[in-house]
Amino acid sequence: MSKPGKFSFGVFVFVTLFLHIPLAILVISSFNSSKSMRWEGFSLKWYHELFYNSGPLWHSFWNSIIVAISSSVVATVIGTLGAIGLCWYSFRMKKAIQTLTFFPVILPEIIIGVSILIFFNKIGLSLSLFTIFLAHVTFNIPFVLMTVMARLEEFDFSIVEAAYDLGATEIDMLLRVILPISMPGIIAGLLLAITLSLEDFVITFFVAGPGSSTLPLHIFSMIRFGVSPTINALSVVIIVGTALLALSSKNLYSSLLKR
Amino acid sequence: MRKNYGPIYVGPVAFWLCAFLSVPLLITLSYSFLAKGLYGGVEPHFSLAAYRSLFNTAVLKVLLNTIIIAVLSTALMVGLALPTAYYIARSSQKNLLLMLIIIPFWTNFLIRIYAWITILGSNGLLNSFLMGVGLTDGPIQFLYNRGAIILVIVYTTIPFAIFPLYSTIEKFDFSLIEAAMDLGASKTKALWKIMIPNIRSGITTAVLFTFIPTFGNFAVPKLVGGTSSWMLGNLIERELNITRNWPLASSMSVVLTFVTMLAVLFFMRSQNKKEL
Amino acid sequence: MLLAAAIVSMVVSGCSEGEKEKPTEQKVVQKPQQQETAQTLYIYNWTYYIPNQVLKDFEKEYNVKVVYDMYSSNEEMFTKLKAGGSGYDLVFPSGDYVSIMIKENMLEPIDKTKIPNFSNIDPEVLAKIHFDEGSQYSVPYMMGAAGVAVNTKFVKDFDKSWSIFNRDDLKGRMTMLDDMREVLGAALKSLGYSVNTKSLEELQKAKELVKQWKKNIVKFDAESFGKGFAAGEFWVVQGYQENIFLELDEAAKQDVAFFIPKEGSAMYMDNMVLLKTAKNKDLAYTFMNYIHEPKVFAQIADFLMLPSINVPARDLMKVKPNYEIADLARSEFKEDLGESLKDYNQIWQEIIVGE
Repeated sequence: MSKPGKFSFGVFVFVTLFLHIPLAILVISSFNSSKSMRWEGFSLKWYHELFYNSGPLWHSFWNSIIVAISSSVVATVIGTLGAIGLCWYSFRMKKAIQTLTFFPVILPEIIIGVSILIFFNKIGLSLSLFTIFLAHVTFNIPFVLMTVMARLEEFDFSIVEAAYDLGATEIDMLLRVILPISMPGIIAGLLLAITLSLEDFVITFFVAGPGSSTLPLHIFSMIRFGVSPTINALSVVIIVGTALLALSSKNLYSSLLKR
Repeated sequence: MRKNYGPIYVGPVAFWLCAFLSVPLLITLSYSFLAKGLYGGVEPHFSLAAYRSLFNTAVLKVLLNTIIIAVLSTALMVGLALPTAYYIARSSQKNLLLMLIIIPFWTNFLIRIYAWITILGSNGLLNSFLMGVGLTDGPIQFLYNRGAIILVIVYTTIPFAIFPLYSTIEKFDFSLIEAAMDLGASKTKALWKIMIPNIRSGITTAVLFTFIPTFGNFAVPKLVGGTSSWMLGNLIERELNITRNWPLASSMSVVLTFVTMLAVLFFMRSQNKKEL
Repeated sequence: MLLAAAIVSMVVSGCSEGEKEKPTEQKVVQKPQQQETAQTLYIYNWTYYIPNQVLKDFEKEYNVKVVYDMYSSNEEMFTKLKAGGSGYDLVFPSGDYVSIMIKENMLEPIDKTKIPNFSNIDPEVLAKIHFDEGSQYSVPYMMGAAGVAVNTKFVKDFDKSWSIFNRDDLKGRMTMLDDMREVLGAALKSLGYSVNTKSLEELQKAKELVKQWKKNIVKFDAESFGKGFAAGEFWVVQGYQENIFLELDEAAKQDVAFFIPKEGSAMYMDNMVLLKTAKNKDLAYTFMNYIHEPKVFAQIADFLMLPSINVPARDLMKVKPNYEIADLARSEFKEDLGESLKDYNQIWQEIIVGE
């Protein structure tokens, strides 16, 4: 087997450094006591500021959690049912529905944000956490659906046929056969949905209402209006949390697949 | 014949996406053909004014700028991602190397933009360094131009190019390359002539996954763009939120959707060709 | 299938962020608990327009909770209200938007008997108000005008005039507000016209002038210019002085000159208005009255370094405002433009996205 050459190694190193250095700089400057980029000594004051003096930030954090959990649970239920239907049954309009589920993945987020805002305005629904929830369920459904379908496609429909031949009812089927085998896909879909919801900025930007800022919106206003390097400390908390959970969830996911 | 439960399973998805996706898109489409109200909103009579205002030079310039940025960033991303994905796929430490790409990617998108603002700003690291070594007397303005937008877009979006390329290269049978080399081809030539055609689907996915989000981007130009680097996404947001010309915002959204659909069709066609 | 592969590869990694902030959860748990007992007042106001301390004191004194959301232009606020319908109780629009909001039937008439401190407001200031004759729908908050801040460390000589934006030696170091009325107002004033002109010809001339300025500025920005100015990124910015000075520490203030250009500027009066859809009208009245307590108002005016429109508060102020009401002599209040708004929007769009 031929080894990759120097050129691809060089590009890989470049890209990796390119991806990591800016974050490393944030980490370092979060410990800087000065407001500016000039190093003026080690300090934890921005962390103190973050944990004890950032009420609105934590308010938006909780909003993010509420929206992420509620929208991903609803999207997972709807998306899983949809995946089962699309994967194992055929019926009229199947192609159309499949195409429809493709839309939120492929359309630029701003289109979804704009059109759903216009829609809420048209039907006279006030913007609030609830409208964010509705929007998040909408863009999360397709991702759950595709993740669960990827798992279902690995299974032979003959298992289901066999269960039917043995006299299983549809409910039995669903609870005892389909859900257990698709569980790793469902959990992966749920986690993906939570992630996308926590991460979403563009769509939320359009549908957020009074007091319903989510964490990304708050970060956005910190960048725009910001006066304080607290955002550096927040970045580090997010970077470290992300790294830890990326590592542990990878293990979680592979152990789920092995079951 | 047992009962077909398909529609029952699919019902909730179909309902939800119709209600919160199709209907909003159709309303947006219909708004683009209405007249605008004085203080925003729409007047309920047919008008092509919104489409006419798309053809003023200002809007066309923004469209051109958006295309330039999207094409350049996509080319840069795919160009960098191809060797990177190749290296990862050929390495014995695939998972570890993938992790290296993934971790920065899953850090909040806005934080990643912010990281570049701290580097490129007048008081940022880059300027401090340049002034420290005496390469420049005063700070240089790196932010608020097209270059900064492209840099930050590449930074935030490049994993979308790396992942699909990686997954196709990983499946590619490299004994073909060795066979070609045994027959006297140089390695570069073998890779170019044999691997590239075989991973075409990965390349089109990478192009699509980077081009579409770049074309519709609005957060990056909003945060690091300047007076002459408007993108379509910014213009849509401005027409929606500031000028409150909703028909115009809608017609621009229709254009953006149209471009996206074209890109997707192009993608599907090249996928089909591969299968033939 | 490829797509699925790409997505799954994202999933594997994606699981991560879902719970990324677990480690910090315990610390936050205590926060939202007081909410349940207390009433909540939803305020939608300009960025950093009320010192945090005032809000905290108010929360404590009346045992309530205040949610304070921020906007950076009247347009942004208006759109959010129109799109969102309801949710906020108190909003702080400028005069021109007060008239628009009255016309759009969004405001609740103010019952002045519930605001005894209304009588503290300078009658001369009240007399200048035409956007809401007799203050039936609005309670004046702050009055001022956008001016120009100059970093004197980098810019030694300058004329106190809008023409500073013509200087190409400062190219790439200046910003102007991303606000149609302010920027066109500056140009109109430079040309000797009214900031409320409805003449297309005058507007065209103003447009040409702004286009010249545009060549020299980095961006139109109403959000982060204060921060950029404080960081030394920008040397000359058009802006509201409070946004600029709040970012500066005492030492840095030495190097800053702020002026209202001699040609005059588009003046604003920001007002507290009560939305029709407000859920907490009584609390909103309490708040408006609280703001005009002389002690409180002096604290706010000190914080913003703005001249006080509240007469008894003037004696209590500790900070000298950055300009006096007299400096605004040549400036004009922004009025609602009516149908001309279309022309302004059109011209503004041509300016910002055009060459």
